[in-house]
This record gives sequence, structure tokens and C-alpha cells, in this order.
Amino acid sequence: MKKYLLVLILLVSVIACKSEKKEIKAKSKEVNVYTHRHYKADQELFAQFEKETGITVNVVNAKADELMQKMSLEGAQSPADVLITVDAGRLVRAKNKGLLQSASSVFLDKTIPSNLKDADNHWFALTKRARVIVYNPEKVKAEELSSYEALTDKKWKNKILIRSSDNIYNQSLLASIIANNGEEKASEWTKGIVANMARSPKGNDRDQVKAVVAGEGDIAIVNTYYIGKLLNSKNPDEVIAGKGIKVFFPNQNDRGTHINVSGAGVAKYAPNKQHAIKFIEFLASKKSQEIFAKVNYEYSVNKEVVSSELLKSWGEFKEDTLSLTKLGENNKKAVIIFDESSWK
Amino acid sequence: MKKIFINLKRDTNKWSILLLTIVLFIGIPIIIIFLNLIYGPGETWGHLVKNLLSDYLINSFFLIMGTSFFTLLFGVLSAWIVVRYQIPFRKQMQWLLILPLAIPSYITAYSYAGIFDYGGYFEKIFNLKIDIMNHFGLIMVLSFSLYPYVYVTTRAFFLNQSKNIIEASKLLGAGEIKTFLKLILPLARPAFIGGLILVLMEVLNDYGAAKYFGINTFTTGIFRAWFSLEELETAIYLAALLVLIIFIIILLEKRQRSRIGYFNTVKNHQQIKRIQISKIKQIIMLLFVLIPVLFGFAFPLFQLIFWAFLTFKEVLTLDFLHIAFQSLGISIFSAIITVLFALFLIYLSKWNRLKYIKYIAKIGILGYAIPGAVIALGVLIPTLFIDKNIILFFNNFLDTKIGFVINGTVLVLVYAYMIRYLAVAYSPIEASSLKLGKSLAETSNLLGKGNLYTFKKIEFPLLKPAILSALILVFVDVMKELPLTLILKPYNINTLAVKAYEYASDEMIAEAALPSLFIIFTGILPILLLNKVISKN
Repeated sequence: MKKYLLVLILLVSVIACKSEKKEIKAKSKEVNVYTHRHYKADQELFAQFEKETGITVNVVNAKADELMQKMSLEGAQSPADVLITVDAGRLVRAKNKGLLQSASSVFLDKTIPSNLKDADNHWFALTKRARVIVYNPEKVKAEELSSYEALTDKKWKNKILIRSSDNIYNQSLLASIIANNGEEKASEWTKGIVANMARSPKGNDRDQVKAVVAGEGDIAIVNTYYIGKLLNSKNPDEVIAGKGIKVFFPNQNDRGTHINVSGAGVAKYAPNKQHAIKFIEFLASKKSQEIFAKVNYEYSVNKEVVSSELLKSWGEFKEDTLSLTKLGENNKKAVIIFDESSWK
Repeated sequence: MKKIFINLKRDTNKWSILLLTIVLFIGIPIIIIFLNLIYGPGETWGHLVKNLLSDYLINSFFLIMGTSFFTLLFGVLSAWIVVRYQIPFRKQMQWLLILPLAIPSYITAYSYAGIFDYGGYFEKIFNLKIDIMNHFGLIMVLSFSLYPYVYVTTRAFFLNQSKNIIEASKLLGAGEIKTFLKLILPLARPAFIGGLILVLMEVLNDYGAAKYFGINTFTTGIFRAWFSLEELETAIYLAALLVLIIFIIILLEKRQRSRIGYFNTVKNHQQIKRIQISKIKQIIMLLFVLIPVLFGFAFPLFQLIFWAFLTFKEVLTLDFLHIAFQSLGISIFSAIITVLFALFLIYLSKWNRLKYIKYIAKIGILGYAIPGAVIALGVLIPTLFIDKNIILFFNNFLDTKIGFVINGTVLVLVYAYMIRYLAVAYSPIEASSLKLGKSLAETSNLLGKGNLYTFKKIEFPLLKPAILSALILVFVDVMKELPLTLILKPYNINTLAVKAYEYASDEMIAEAALPSLFIIFTGILPILLLNKVISKN
């Protein structure tokens, strides 16, 4: 028993030391990435970047909030070079907390539209997702749908499916409504939606789609790329669910459909600033953007990139061009309005 | 006052100082969290109290009541059945009943959502769609995945009971059921309450399952305050309140227990005799113990295997095996360290004569009640403080630039695991050491042997089974741990739980099945070992 224990301890120490060495040894060419994204597409791209540039990519993967907390505790000694989040609100928050710095890049200036990046170049959007209405075509006609606001109409009572207000995509959607219509209207909107919910919010976006197909409600509000994931799922039942709904882009006659982004910024105390910029440029390049679009069903921020077949099949749509900074600014207000309206 | 000082001087020995150092080492992150109580909550506290707190409290209360009822029902009754009655497959049932412990409860929750999902097995077989993502569903999921804590402690207790009391009860004319209700159940109380407290801490700490089922609990509130409302101080305030509630529950229970003082003083190792029962009764009892095994282990496992079958081609890579290996290494290492510190706490408390320090030492085991993410924060604050000063020192005096020395290493991660899971190692070892009693050690001391010698030669060999149980329990828990690992893990190191989370949080629950299965299977082996240890004693 004792012998085994000794062997085990030795074994573990070896593993532990091995990993630590990697870190302590000051590599001349590396970039440390704190990211909330954990998709296969990203891993492929990181490997590609390493191959092309010889710069090692070190990844810390956690929720954006936790990463930001970590960065602010680490302060000036933080090893982080790049912060990647999956929504604009967090990027704005990171900027306001002084976690990011301005990064000048001719390529990024040229490639990314101005509403999709920070005015001071603290962060840049990398991919877009639209928050759309999906509906059961057997019960609902596209003509009956128009805007997010119209969903508070009494005719949708017990028909709407949407997830919890804990979810950042819902928070950003409400933040955009606050920015466009004001707090009072936003509060009326949440109360109206809560009154029309088919069930108390639960599950994730995919579950809302499945619930529409199962007949628990007629329409749901979800992100586009989850529909892509359902349609390409390994589970045949999920594919059926994905095929059972149709996509509707709301607010086409006014401000456009709400979009959210995932994006990246250079950390305030980045030890490898040049590598960090190179890394973000790489992710915004045409080649990387095509992979995002194809593997992860996201919309590209690079205008040169052609959409994937699936994204094309949903049709072109008008986007809400509201500056993404507003989403961050209104996030906390949105959470409080959700709570006051008992949106779980 | 003067007397206190005299006592202080008289009773302080080397053990007191060592104990105090170790308690500080373990306690600092926890103390830091409590210190935040002085600052009070942030400005959104009013909003929280007005709009959310009652919902959190009511939900948490229902969850506690519901899971207490069902974990006790399944835990205590199955333990009694497999110890007392000769039922078919008794041997197998004994260990099968522990297995749900190997599945993280959020994974169980996900699999049940899958089973009852649109197109799920339940719908396919019964052509009926029922919604389980509600309070009752969550209570059942948590109960089926957590009852083994009660089962394990209670069964160990029954196995150690002598048959004399039961025989006495029978002689006095009490029937089987009356004996169980009036005698066995009250006697077993310390055992099942001990298990129940672990269950309750897990329930209060659960985040994944409750969130997915859309039920807001105290822990959901902590994260909402921290991340959505951006008020760390309010989050810590809530966490500290939660810990306070748990601490009060533990104290109340301890007090009552010591007042009643049910302890079996008979050192008689004739075990409870198994009795023969009619065939029908056998079948009924077998069916009863099968319920928790099927619902807590078999059904979720089938769902996971089905998902893994769909996705393994994508998920199973060389990288994946590497992660599995790292996960194992870290968990084993953490288990050893945690058990060591549990031993330090228990024995140094014994050897030191200062009462106050004994009470202070209890801080050490509070970590289990604190959400992992909050512990991570409590660990980050002091370790970063040290790191920054080391860096400053190197900068100013040695003129060299260095990075973090301790942060981002495995050591910090293991330190955090140790704080989080100390209670898990502490309980079985303490229980066992209490049972050994004082007389052995006192005899040895009288014979002129020191504390360390006595421990090494007499107590350690007797404690071995308990130590092994503690190692196994911590190992399984670390394998499953998620929030703390996410925040503190070093670069280029990954664990299976993190991998499963990455998939699940990207709504790729089928892809999360394979890492989950790995966690489960690495958990099963040590759990079977644990079963052997308990049976042997």
C-alpha cells in the first residue's frame, strides 16, 4: 500500500512540475488568452495561429465574469494578453473596469464596422449572432409576426417560450430595448412577455426550440447559431427539432433585429501586446471568419466573407445598428427590470 | 480575565502553536470571506431583498425539506434492509447503492432532462411527454444523486452495531418494525444526520442543476449578485449568510446530540444477525432498494452511454486522454493533501489543551458549505497579495522581472480543493477516532510514549479504513468539481469536469456525455474499494 502511494505521489508531482515548468520558463513567443469561448472552431484556429506564426497560444477558459474578476485581482502583474467574451456587454464592462487598452491596427480599423467596435479601440467584435423569433409553421404564419414589442400582445398568451433572465443574451436584448425605447417601455415589455410565457423560464436556447416543436408553445426567442447547432447535431431528434421551426427576423420595418457579438480586446497590462494584436487580427481575417461561419454558424464581422449556405438560407436581414457600447451600459438596469417583472 | 491568561500560559503547548498555524493556513480564505460581512452588502441589496430574496429562501427551503425527506427515506431504509435482511442479490445491492455518488448531480440533471425531453426515451416508450424541470423534479434528481451520503454513513453504523440490543428488544416483545422505529432509528441518528448534513451542503451549493431547471436558489442569487448586478460585496454577503445558516444547523444538531448522548459503549463486535423473510417480502424489499439504484445510477448512465455513442468520434481524441490523465493526477494529489490536513486538524486539536483553539479549528471545515467560486475568490486574494510582494521584491532589490510564482500553479488549485473538501475527509476520520476513544492513547501516554509515537503505532493503523474512505470521498469530489477549477486552474491543464462543462455550456450536452462517463468510471472503482473497507470493518 505504502509503495503504491509513494509511486502515485511521485507520478503526480512529475505531472504537476511538468505543467509548471511550461509556465515559469519565459517563452519569448507566446500569447496568453483569457477566453469565454470554448468552441471547436476556436481550438482549430488557435492551432492554426501557432502553426503560422510560431507563437504559442496559452488558454485560460472560464466564464467572462470570472476571467474579468481574475484579471482585476491580478492587476499590473496579470499575464493576460487577450480577453475574449461572448457578448458585447462584458466587453464594455471590461473596458470600464480598466482591464483593456487601446490597440491600433490598420487592418482591424478597415475590416470591422464602427458600431461593432469600441470607439477607443479597446475591443473588437469577432462574430455576430442574431436573436430571432422562431415559430411553429403549423400554428403561426410569418405575417402574424413583426417585432419584439408586438409579442406582448394578448394573442400570444401562453404561447411564448424564452429562457431565464440569468442568460446574458436576454439581458443584452433588454438592454437594447432600454436604449431604443427607454426604461419605462422596457419594463412594460418584460411584464408583457412574462404574462404571455407558455411556461416558467427553464433550460437553454435549444430547449426552447424543442419545446416549440413539442407543442408547449408556438414561438420562442433564441440565438441563430443554436439553430445551426441543432440542424447539425449528432442526435437525430435534435435535427428533427431544428427542422420543425422557421426563423423570423423581427423589427425589419424599424430598427432591425437585435444582434450580439463575441469579441476580443487587448489586456491593459498585456506582456505581449504585439502578439495580442496579431492574434486578434488573425481571428478577424477572412480565413478565420469563414471557419467561424462554417463550423460555428455565426455571422461574420468581415464584410468580405460570404455567409455559409445555412445562414444564407435564412435570408438577408436588417440589423439593429445600435452601438454595442449601449448594451454594456444598460446591462445592470436590464437585470433589475427583469427582477422587478418577476422574469425568473 | 487574569484567569484566562493563566490558563493560556499553562495550557499552551507546542501543539497549540502548530495547530493555530495550520488553522490559519486553512482558514485565511474563509476568514477573508467573512471579513467582508463588516463592509455590509452593496447598494443593490435593497433590490435583492425586495424582489428576489423571498423566492430564493422559499425555493431553498423546499429543496432542503424535499431532499432531506427522500435522501433519508432511501438512504436509511436501504441501509437497514441490506444489513438486516437476507434478500436476493444482497451482496451486489450493497455496493450498487453507493454508485450514484460517482455521477455529478448536474450531469444527472442533464440526463433526466434528456430522458424526458422531446424525442427522449420516456416519450418514445410511453408516448407521453411530462415536464420534470420543476421543483419536484429537481428534488428527485438531487435526492437520487445524493442519498448515498446518508446510505454510506448509516450502513457503516449498522454494521458496527452489536446484535445485543436488538435481541434485548426482541426478548422484551417488540416486533421488527417497532424495534426499527423505536430503537434502531434513534440510535442511528448521529450517523444519518452526519450524512444528511453533507447532503444539505451539496444541495445549498448546487448551481448547475437548479439553474438548468430554472429554479432560483441561494447560490443562484450569489452568482446573480456577483455577475449580473456586478456587486461582489453583495455576493460575498449572501455567501457568508449561507455559511452562517449551515453553521447554525450543525451547531444545533451537535448540541442536541450531545444532550441525548446516544453512544454505543459496548465493545462487542458480534454483528447484527441477518434474518430470513418470506419470498414476497424479499421481492418487495429488493424492489425498494432497486429504486434508488435505477433512478440514481442506471437510467442516467444509459442516457449518457446513448449520447456518448452518438458523439464519441468527435470527442475521443489524444488530447482527451491527456486531460483524463491530468484529472486523475490532480485528484489523487488533492485527496492525499486534504486527508493529511484533516489528520492535522483532528489530532493537533486533541493534543493541544486550549479550548478556544479547538473551537477555532472548526473554521477549517466550513469550506464545504461555501460555493466553489467564492472559495476561489477567497484563495485568490491572499495568494495574489503574496505573489505581488514577491514580484515587487525581485523588482526593487534584485532588479529582475518575474511572473507569478504561486498563482496559476497546481499548488494553488490543490490548496483551494483542500479548503473546499476538508469536511469530507474530516467527518469519517473524526468519527472513527472518536470511536477509538481516549483510553488507548491515554494508556500509551501513561506508558511514557509521546503523542506522535502513539499515533503512528496505535491510532494510525486503527484509523486506516477511515483514512482510505476519506481519500476516496475527496478523490471523487475533486474529479467532479467545477467552478473553483475554472477560476484557478493553470494554463494548459484541464480536467474532465471542465471539458464536460465546456460542451454543456455550449448546449452540446450529448458531447458532454463522454467526459462525464470518464468521471463516473474513475469514480466507480474507488467507490467499490470504499465499500470493501466499510464491509470489512
